[in-house]
Amino acid sequence: MIELQGLTKTYAGKRVVDDVSLTLQSGEFGVLIGPSGCGKSTTLKMINRLIPLSEGRILINGDDVTQLPVEQLRRRIGYAIQSTGLFPHWSVARNVATVPQLLKWPKARIDDRVDELMTLFQLDPAEFRDKYPHQLSGGQAQRVGVARALAADPEVLLMDEPFGAVDPLTRETLQAEMRRVHAKTGKTIVFVTHDMDEALALATRIALLNGGRLVQYERPIEMLVDPADDFVREFIGQADLGLKLLSRRFVHQYQRRARLAPETGLERLDEHAWLVDAEGRPSALAGARLDDADAITRVKPEWIATPEMSMKEALSRMVWYRVTALPVVDREGRLIAEVGMPGVMGIEGDGGAIEAAP
Amino acid sequence: MPREHTPRVIGNRVLLTLWLAAAIGVALLPFATLSPNRLVSGQPVMLWQALPVWQLGGLGLIAAGLLLAALARPLPPRAADWLGLALTLPLLGLALFALGDYAQRALAEASPAARVSQGGAFWLLLLAAALIAVDALQRLRLGLLSRALFALLALGLIGACLASDLLAPLSLMREFANQRDIFVAQGLRHLSLVGGALLPALALGLPLGLVATRSRRWRDGLFSVLNVFQTLPSIAVFGLLIAPLAALAHAVPWLGELGVSGIGVAPAIIALVLYSLLPVVRNTYAGLAGVPATTLEAARGMGMTSRQILWRVELPLALPVILSGLRIVTVQAIGLTVVAALIGAGGFGAFIFQGLGQYAIDLVLLGAIPTIVLAVIADFLLQLLVAASRPPGTR
Repeated sequence: MIELQGLTKTYAGKRVVDDVSLTLQSGEFGVLIGPSGCGKSTTLKMINRLIPLSEGRILINGDDVTQLPVEQLRRRIGYAIQSTGLFPHWSVARNVATVPQLLKWPKARIDDRVDELMTLFQLDPAEFRDKYPHQLSGGQAQRVGVARALAADPEVLLMDEPFGAVDPLTRETLQAEMRRVHAKTGKTIVFVTHDMDEALALATRIALLNGGRLVQYERPIEMLVDPADDFVREFIGQADLGLKLLSRRFVHQYQRRARLAPETGLERLDEHAWLVDAEGRPSALAGARLDDADAITRVKPEWIATPEMSMKEALSRMVWYRVTALPVVDREGRLIAEVGMPGVMGIEGDGGAIEAAP
Repeated sequence: MPREHTPRVIGNRVLLTLWLAAAIGVALLPFATLSPNRLVSGQPVMLWQALPVWQLGGLGLIAAGLLLAALARPLPPRAADWLGLALTLPLLGLALFALGDYAQRALAEASPAARVSQGGAFWLLLLAAALIAVDALQRLRLGLLSRALFALLALGLIGACLASDLLAPLSLMREFANQRDIFVAQGLRHLSLVGGALLPALALGLPLGLVATRSRRWRDGLFSVLNVFQTLPSIAVFGLLIAPLAALAHAVPWLGELGVSGIGVAPAIIALVLYSLLPVVRNTYAGLAGVPATTLEAARGMGMTSRQILWRVELPLALPVILSGLRIVTVQAIGLTVVAALIGAGGFGAFIFQGLGQYAIDLVLLGAIPTIVLAVIADFLLQLLVAASRPPGTR
């Protein structure tokens, strides 16, 4: 648990962080967001005392951070930054091992931990252990940076715009990975970004700052539907509010039963239906294509949905492939449900099932 | 007009230029000089007068081979570069052998006091061989190790000529034979002056460079003071130190007993240290300042102490730049130590000034050549060290 109490930072008489108070429960993913100069990075760096605070208190699991020796405190807190800050003269393995080495773990334990973390971030230890940072792609380097921050199993993980310098595609992959790692490790995370989509994709709590003051501290969906004031509304961006909501909703919440097509009489169907192959994988869709409602459309891998997919992405696929429903498949690729326009409109699903042909 | 249809004739302009320069030089400058004694200036002897036919033929063959290496056809570029590189060794060997051989024959029929010295054409052939080799090594993109190997081969060839009696009749070698003991002593003195200056320069310069990265105020003051030292002419500094050091030795007798005096080793080392400080401090500062800010922030954020950051992150990343500074000051100190001979500090400079005073040019060379060789070897070794110090992640 992280508590900020009346946190204030004054530079030359100017209050760049002004009386910020909030509590982040253990295991939550907190995102500090706001326009540049709002004090979000300063707030983050006061937590691990890279910047000394002027007034107020910061408690981590009840301990006042200013009461601990500063190096000891930092070794308890993971820290990942933009452009990684990896040590260019150390191999990937040695970079990841930085804090365990500072803590003087035995070598065997460090080696095991490094392999474990690299596997968690889908970097094959055999291939990547001995590489140097300059041999990595931007996304790989950023993964190593986060793995390094998690190495000593810290109570809290601080991330300062870690994905700010990678391309949009890699960023989305890294965000998905971060969600997965957060779910798996249950770490308390404080994450700074200026990108609302990133905040919505990751946060369980969003703290919106402006001019050093905390404007709103809320769960993402609540912030979307109930912005505290005009600034919040404007910052979220009203035009695609609906799409932002969809990005916080997931297919498994809205999937419905899928109807299988009969062997014959396809042309007399009154509702669309799915054809599956011998393994139960969707092979074609009858009657749900916009431009030829009667015809049979072969299912392409590009427009298959999975339960973990966001509704925003599902909608995007429907629009792009001009279908009113997507097949939802399990890990083996078997049809388990469908998701369609009712789900996009927010009508909750029935969990999904397969309905045999009449 | 499409370019690919105009056939290229010249493959290596550098080699062709060197070839032409050497040819013109050989045509215009004497290969050797023959004088009745050590102090009188000698009669010029041209290459074709000095060398017997078979040596001229050999030289002609080497020249023809080098010309072939400079042309675009028929050899493919890499083969041409290898040919050029390979021919520099026989060129070097033949020039040395021909000179020694000529001296032997010429002196056999002259008076005992007569002297044979190398001429401009000889130096030009050596210089051309060296430059052709450097050019070829660069074109072939050989690693430092292969370069070192080639340099060793060339040095070995020169060493073998010096060790054998082949070059003994030369005036330069006779000066050496007369001064052999002094030569060794002055060489050791030269090296100890350089070492005696570099150690305190590093001991002072490294911490000062560190201070410069930590405090802006110190940095500005430090660099303006050190810049002043660097602009003073070396002879002036040596001269300026005489009076205060003499006074100091007089006032504090135990310093005088330790060897501090207005002339000799003490002022030489002080001046050399002052000259060496700026490059050491500047490179230490540049190396440390070049460590990326994000790397340092990450190191602090991970919980490294300042000392751990310095030893584990800053110094390893700055080391190649710091060692480049050491390379600069080492080569510079080897050269400046020559001037220190003027205030009685000794070293190879002693031969140079003695030779200048006697107008014995071979004595000057006896001081100058080893100084140059020393500087080149030191430069090369430190280059190896710089390359080795580069962390594997940044190579």
